[in-house]
Amino acid sequence: MGKCMQGYLDEQFMELEELQDDVNPNFVEEVATLYFKDSARLINSIDQALERGSFDFNRLDNYMHQFKGSSTSIGASKVKTECTMFREYCRMGNAEGCLRTFQQVKKEHATLRKKLEHYFQLARQAGPKETARRSK
Amino acid sequence: MTVEQDCVALDQFPVGMRVLAVDDDQTCLRILESLLHRCQYHVTTTNQAQKALELLRENKNKFDLVISDVDMPDMDGFKLLELVGLEMDLPVIRVTHGACDYLLKPVRIEELKNIWQHVVRSRFDKNRGSNNGDKKDGSGNNEGVANSDPNNGRANRKRKDQYNEDEDEERDDNDDPSSQKKPRVVWTVELHKKFVAAVNQLGFEKAMPKKILDLMNVEKLTRENVASHLQKFRLYLKRISGNQQAIMANSDLHFLQMSNGLDGFHHRPIPVGSGQNVLQNPTDLGKFHHVSSLPLNHIDGGNILQGLPMPLEFDQLQTNNNKSIIAGNSMAFPSFPTQQSSLPNNNNHLVLEGHPQASPSAFPGHQINKRLEHWSNAVSSSSSTLPPAQNSNSIIIGHQFDVSPLPHSKPDSLEWNTQNASSSYSIPFCDSTIPLTSSMNTNPRAFYRTTDLDSNANVQPGVYYDSSQMRQSGNYGPTTDAMLSSNPKEGFIVGQQKLQSGFMGAEAGSLDDIVNSTMKQEQSQGDLSEGDLGYGGFSSLRTCL
Repeated sequence: MGKCMQGYLDEQFMELEELQDDVNPNFVEEVATLYFKDSARLINSIDQALERGSFDFNRLDNYMHQFKGSSTSIGASKVKTECTMFREYCRMGNAEGCLRTFQQVKKEHATLRKKLEHYFQLARQAGPKETARRSK
Repeated sequence: MTVEQDCVALDQFPVGMRVLAVDDDQTCLRILESLLHRCQYHVTTTNQAQKALELLRENKNKFDLVISDVDMPDMDGFKLLELVGLEMDLPVIRVTHGACDYLLKPVRIEELKNIWQHVVRSRFDKNRGSNNGDKKDGSGNNEGVANSDPNNGRANRKRKDQYNEDEDEERDDNDDPSSQKKPRVVWTVELHKKFVAAVNQLGFEKAMPKKILDLMNVEKLTRENVASHLQKFRLYLKRISGNQQAIMANSDLHFLQMSNGLDGFHHRPIPVGSGQNVLQNPTDLGKFHHVSSLPLNHIDGGNILQGLPMPLEFDQLQTNNNKSIIAGNSMAFPSFPTQQSSLPNNNNHLVLEGHPQASPSAFPGHQINKRLEHWSNAVSSSSSTLPPAQNSNSIIIGHQFDVSPLPHSKPDSLEWNTQNASSSYSIPFCDSTIPLTSSMNTNPRAFYRTTDLDSNANVQPGVYYDSSQMRQSGNYGPTTDAMLSSNPKEGFIVGQQKLQSGFMGAEAGSLDDIVNSTMKQEQSQGDLSEGDLGYGGFSSLRTCL
């Protein structure tokens, strides 16, 4: 992973890269795609819930729990950190904290998405060998 | 037939193990699928618990293991686990983000590599307890992967050490209690009868070791002996009552049989209700009759067999000549003729193989233990220690023992371990007074599963009772489970013994084989020179704590 990824993705991401092989040549990208699809949906749900202003903390926490789970699976460390904060605010029933943190979650999520898109693009251009090298 | 398929499946363990992965999160599911593929398991995925249930119900034998997320919207993972455990007896591993569950997200490949152990364990359980061979026993579900449970690791290590120690001791003086160990108690039929009588008198639920001890009035029997025996007995009963309508009396007999191989109850209890005829030779029958003639406290005397939960395997053994339980056994017990041919290793699921080097005087257990240790170190390396005939299954078992994350019922292990030295009996109660108790506490869960690790009481009652049961096919079942659950090492040993007769119930087929082989051996051997090491060999040594 290049420097640009540092901090954004943890060793879990590397584990995923390990799983990529000839049988699964685009595994990481596939997983990333699934992740962003899922997480986009969750973000939407949370957004809507927050906009409603009802602040059903339980529900919010549930959404975030899922979101955090997939973020963890893909190794999205910064996103994960923000998710944790969000959940803390939920537990405390702190609406403002939730709103604020959620903005952070979205920000990190968007940043990660861009970075990964870039990363995969480069990987594709470079070819398999290059990808392997990059992964190190 | 199912058995065949099972055998085949087991044979390939862990490769080819059929896993059903359930997780509503697509990302996690995809990753899990890939990890499982890496482990060479055969994977089916679904993101809906309901769909998972359908798939499972469709064909109960289609999967060996279920791995499921616990936080799913349409159905709670726990609930799924429960249903799966109840209906299908499949081991279920739960995955969670949370702190104290079996597999934590993100799931790591190392952990997945160990999950087959759950299957093995639960199979053992199943074999031991159930009559019908068609179901897989999922009782071991709660065991969970050891990796995430530090306690298990500790417990296992502890047991392991204990075993090692025992092993050494055993080697030196089988017959007399070593200075470090307490004298072993061999639970003979008479002793057990007294025990049961005392328990009945006090009331099963209320029976306390001290009171039982007083009622029994047996010299040199300690409260600890009684306590551990009681624990085993209870577990045994739970196990069998869970599987079939076990009659108390039958349980006794079965239990004893399982535990006391020595007294001539070598044969496995005849599976009740199973069409199979376990006792194939008249000699066995004779023995069996002998057993049945024992006055059981409660039961109707007649039929020990009836109602005894015959381990599935037993039946299977009967039918399945190929299961090579024997193969394993022969090795372990030099006295027995190698029956390799009858048992194809590959199918054995859990045949514990005997050590080829096992010397008559030394309890095979030692080797087994060693083997177990080997296994724990590396599954792959185990092959080197295992006799060639052994198929991967056996390795698994051994391996399993080593790594068994869950502190399974100790009873099993204890028995095994202790047995090492004394071979004949050692296993079941032996020595392990300490380990027993410790294991007992921890293990229950292993086999039965469903919901919690600790709930497994299933541990095989048989296990307790002595390795001799090993000979009996019946024993295998429980023992196997017990073994697996509690302690890799232990299980191994026990299994070994059992192997002779028919190892582990993992596969019905193998059990049959084992049983068959055992029986054959019995027939042919009469008394082993070593004091029936093979089967039982224990008799000479038995010393239980």
